[in-house]
Amino acid sequence: MGPLNAVLFEPVGCLAEFPPEPFHEIAVKLYGRKGKPSRSASRTYWHLLNLMQAAGNESIEALEVEAVDGAILYGDVLPALAELKAIGVKLLIASSLSNAALARFLAKCCPHDFDGVWNRDNASGIKAAPLRAALDHASLEAGQAMFLTDTAEGLKVAESVGVNSILMMNDPDESQRLAMLNPGGGIVSLHELPDFIRLLRAQGRCMPDCSI
Amino acid sequence: MKKISIYRPTTVDEAIQILSTHGTEAGVYAGGTDLLIRLKNRLKQAPTYLVDIKKIDNLRYIKEDSAGGVQIGAATKLAEIVDSDVLKKRYPMLVHAFNMISSPELRNVSTLGGDLLQEVWCQYLRGGYSCWRNGGYLCYGAIGDNSYYHSAMGGRLCYAVYPGDAAVALIPFDAKAKLATPGGPKELTLEQLVPGDMLVDGRIQSHVVRFNEILTEVVLPPPKPGVRASFEKLRPRGVWDFAMASLALRLDVQDGAIADSRVVFGGIAGKPLRERAVENFLRGKTLSPNLGSQAVSIALANAAPLKYNSTKIDMAKGLLASGLAKLNGTA
Repeated sequence: MGPLNAVLFEPVGCLAEFPPEPFHEIAVKLYGRKGKPSRSASRTYWHLLNLMQAAGNESIEALEVEAVDGAILYGDVLPALAELKAIGVKLLIASSLSNAALARFLAKCCPHDFDGVWNRDNASGIKAAPLRAALDHASLEAGQAMFLTDTAEGLKVAESVGVNSILMMNDPDESQRLAMLNPGGGIVSLHELPDFIRLLRAQGRCMPDCSI
Repeated sequence: MKKISIYRPTTVDEAIQILSTHGTEAGVYAGGTDLLIRLKNRLKQAPTYLVDIKKIDNLRYIKEDSAGGVQIGAATKLAEIVDSDVLKKRYPMLVHAFNMISSPELRNVSTLGGDLLQEVWCQYLRGGYSCWRNGGYLCYGAIGDNSYYHSAMGGRLCYAVYPGDAAVALIPFDAKAKLATPGGPKELTLEQLVPGDMLVDGRIQSHVVRFNEILTEVVLPPPKPGVRASFEKLRPRGVWDFAMASLALRLDVQDGAIADSRVVFGGIAGKPLRERAVENFLRGKTLSPNLGSQAVSIALANAAPLKYNSTKIDMAKGLLASGLAKLNGTA
C-alpha cells in the first residue's frame, strides 16, 4: 500500500448542488416510486441508483441532463481541485451518471482537467463499478484513494470497494447520523481536502485501516 | 491519566534541550490550567514529558523598557498582570481584558504564555471524541452543538474557536512575542504567533510555536498619544467563561479624527480576527453617534456561521457598535 494520493468524486452532492426532482421523476416513471422527493438530491439520487441496481440500470437520460442543467457548482470546488492537483493528488470522477449527463456537467459546470472520468456507461455499471474502473485504469490500490460522499449508500459503496470514505458534511443533522457509521473522515467544505491530505502526509500515515 | 515524567530545568537553554530530545512527546508546563486538563481529558496529543519552566527565574516579570514600552515575561501570572501598576497606568484596557479571563483562582495560576498558546476548548475534543486534534479525521463541532465555542467565520478541518483573550487584547497594541529556539531568539507579532489552525510538527494547533521552542516574552511598544481603547466580552456565563464574542478596539484619535485603528474580534473564529475592512473604513472618520452603525454594516462580511451559532455574529457586531459608542463617550 502506498500513501493516500487520489480522490474519487461523485459530482452529485460533492461537487455541486443538484435539484432532486429530476432523479425523483425517473424513480417515479420507471420504478413506480411514490411520495415526494427528498430535499437532498444526493439521497434521491442514491435511492434511484438502488432501484436501478435492482431492476437493470434503466434510467431516463433526458431527466439526468435536466438535473445537470439545474446543478450549481459549489464555490470552493475549482480552487480546491487546483490546489489538490498542485500537491500531486490524482483527481478522478467516478460517477453513476450517464456519459451524456456527466459530459454535460463537466462542460457546463466543472471545467477541470481530471485525471480520469468514469461514468456508468464507460464503467459498465453503477455505484461501485465507476470507482473500480477509476482505480484500475489509474493503477491505484483501493487504500490509496478516498471517495467523497454525503450519503449512507455512498459510504457503503466505498466500504465495498475498499477505498477510504470521506463524509461531505453538507447537512449537519444528516452528517451527525452518518458520522455514527464510522466514515474514514469528514470535511465541511472541499477547500479542507488539501489540508486533510497534507495532514496525513505530515503525520506519515494513511487513513484508518490503511497501512503504509 | 497516562504516566508522565516532569523535568525542572533552570535555564531556557536547558528546557529547549529537553524539548528537543523528546520531540512532540514533550510539552512546556507552566500554570498547567490548560496542560493538566488536557492530560486529565486523556487527549492523544497531550505530552508525556512535562518541561516545568517555573524554576526558570527570568520568565516572570513586568518591566518598563527605556523607550517607554513594557516587557512581560511569558511565565507571568495573569493575576500579576491585572494587579500591575505599570500596566494600569499605560495600558488600562489590557488590565481590564485580563481581569475578564477565567476566574480569580485560575488567574492566580495561569500564565501569559499559557493563555496565548492554549489548546481549544471544544467540548467534543475535551470530551475525548476522535476529532482532528485528537487523532481523528472529523470535526464533531461542525455538525454537533456549536452554539458557544465554534467558529462563525469558517474553518480549516477543526471549527473550534481560538479561546484566548490575551492575544485579542494585545494585538491592538501591536505587541510582539519573543521565542527562544534552538537556532536563537525569534520575534513575531501576536498575529503571526496565533494565525489560526496550522499544521505544525504534524499537529493541528492555533499557534506556530514548534515543539522545541519556548515563548519567553511579550513586548508592548510605548503607548501612543491620543489612544482610546476598549475590550468587551460576551460569554455564556457572566461569572467566568470563554468568549462567545469579544472585541478589542483601539483608536488613535488626532484632532478629532481617527488616524489609525485596530479592530480585533475574539471568540468567533479560529484566530483573533483582525477586521481590516472596518479599520480601513474608520481611518479619517470623526467619532460620531452614527459611526457604529456604519461600521457594523461592513463588518464581518465573510461570516459563515454553523447551524447553531449565527448569533455570535450578531453579538460581535453589537460589540463593535457599543465599543465605538463607548470610545466616543456616548455609551
